[in-house]
Amino acid sequence: MANEKTDNQIEKLMDVPLEFVKDGNQFLTKCKKPDWKEYSKIVRAVGIGFLAVGVIGYAIKLIHIPIRYVIV
Amino acid sequence: MAGFRLIDVAKPFLPILPEVESPLERVPFDEKMVYTIFTALIYLFAEFPLTGISKDFQTATVNDPIYFLRGVFAASPKTLLEFGIFPIISSALLLQLLAGLKIIKVNFKIQKDRELFQTLTKLFAVSQYFILTNIFIFSGYYGANLSILQIALLNFQLCGAGLFITLLTEVVDKGFGFASGIMILNTAAVATNFIADTFGVSQIKIDAAGHTEAQGSLMNLIQSFRNKDTTILGGIIASFTRDYLPNFTTTVVVVLFAAIVCYLQSVRLELPVRSTRTRGVNNVYPIRLLNIGALALLFSYIVLFYVHIFSFILIQIVANNNQESIICKILGHYDNVNNLLAVPTFPLSLLTPPRSFFGGMVSQPLTFVVYTSFVVFTSICFASQWQNISGSSARDLAAEFKDQGITLTGRREQNIAKELDKIVPVASNTGAAMLALLAVTGELLGLKGKAAGIVIGIAGGFSLLELITLDYQQSGGQSALSSVLGAPNAGM
Repeated sequence: MANEKTDNQIEKLMDVPLEFVKDGNQFLTKCKKPDWKEYSKIVRAVGIGFLAVGVIGYAIKLIHIPIRYVIV
Repeated sequence: MAGFRLIDVAKPFLPILPEVESPLERVPFDEKMVYTIFTALIYLFAEFPLTGISKDFQTATVNDPIYFLRGVFAASPKTLLEFGIFPIISSALLLQLLAGLKIIKVNFKIQKDRELFQTLTKLFAVSQYFILTNIFIFSGYYGANLSILQIALLNFQLCGAGLFITLLTEVVDKGFGFASGIMILNTAAVATNFIADTFGVSQIKIDAAGHTEAQGSLMNLIQSFRNKDTTILGGIIASFTRDYLPNFTTTVVVVLFAAIVCYLQSVRLELPVRSTRTRGVNNVYPIRLLNIGALALLFSYIVLFYVHIFSFILIQIVANNNQESIICKILGHYDNVNNLLAVPTFPLSLLTPPRSFFGGMVSQPLTFVVYTSFVVFTSICFASQWQNISGSSARDLAAEFKDQGITLTGRREQNIAKELDKIVPVASNTGAAMLALLAVTGELLGLKGKAAGIVIGIAGGFSLLELITLDYQQSGGQSALSSVLGAPNAGM
């Protein structure tokens, strides 16, 4: 009796990730994916912003190099 | 102790801790932009080297135990930003999670409670800075035999910087800037690191003979064409495979990951909705795959951070990294690599990503399973809790629908909450799992925290861009900045 019960529980435990993947897959197939035009627009906007911030940040890091010479 | 609430702990600190005042009126778009940019710049500028470290730290035996977490929390070793924004993120996220799960009792409708909760979060952040600082000091990370003065000096620097950054993020959070402070700081730091790793021109000494190589991987690749010490082919191969500085393979993988995150960000389920007020007005309401962004992944990394800090305390401070002691036999010890990184051995290595894919395959194959399942599992756990408490749950959405006078096409109004409940949790869980898998894949390829960093950075940058665009449109395009810059975001 008890054995059967644990078997059931294990089966249930195994079902959880399977169910999760199934639900996720179902959701993904229903989703609207961006088309090429939309996607390239997003990549361009995010990319330009990201690179711009990075370049400014790196410029600040470069300022640090002489400062380190002075204070260390 | 009946009626004791954790937020009351913060009461005596309410008048002591400095606080940023909320803006009296809505901050105009241009000013917000300036606040946002300068917050990021000040943070990046704060990366000063620490004073008070032993001069002989080159030969120190205690190395960096959290090297693979630094990319995520914008931390850089042996500077004022030793712990980056970790204490701020973790205290904000954990306390909100606890409040949402009703473990901390806060009534957010009462002004006094909100203030106390805010102060508690700040207090928790600052005390974490203090505790982490002293863990690192007493482990000998800053050198053995520090004098009292040096200890005091290090405490003063790191805690002072911590309090300063906490207040910096608060300025943004209180409405002077866009989105949240931690998101801006993180995105800016990730972007800067990416540029430094790719285009960095500073020459770094790589061996005792005094040879130097450029920090940036692209620069290094270009230099390898005219390097006299090695053949051209050898130089090119080295620039793809070097492991002491960023190599070009890493850069390619990181760019690829950024592109994938951009793609995932725009995957959404479009629910057909119609207006309940006007007949025949149909529209779609998007539900994002990543509707909680990269928060779940961030949470996983916070848990990882705590795990590694606690084992660092046990191994380094209690057992002194002595392989004979019982703690090291249970938890593993630290191996020093390149005199820079402290790499834990089995079993702690199970939660540490390998430093290279093939090396990891051979020496720690179990890590691939354990690390992946750990990050994915914690991410999903967090996502399923968070979407319930963060105001984007099915119930909240249904209320929002009612407010806006829209309903799902072909459903009765009473059933909206039930219908949304089938969709929203699945969306956030799946999104969290996918981001976690993506980040873990990168980590297992040996990116040392850069993969998770870029995933969180791009996700943050994306929401930031979206908020800025929204605010720009709401302000009616009245912006001196955008006319100067030629409105780069107008296309979004």
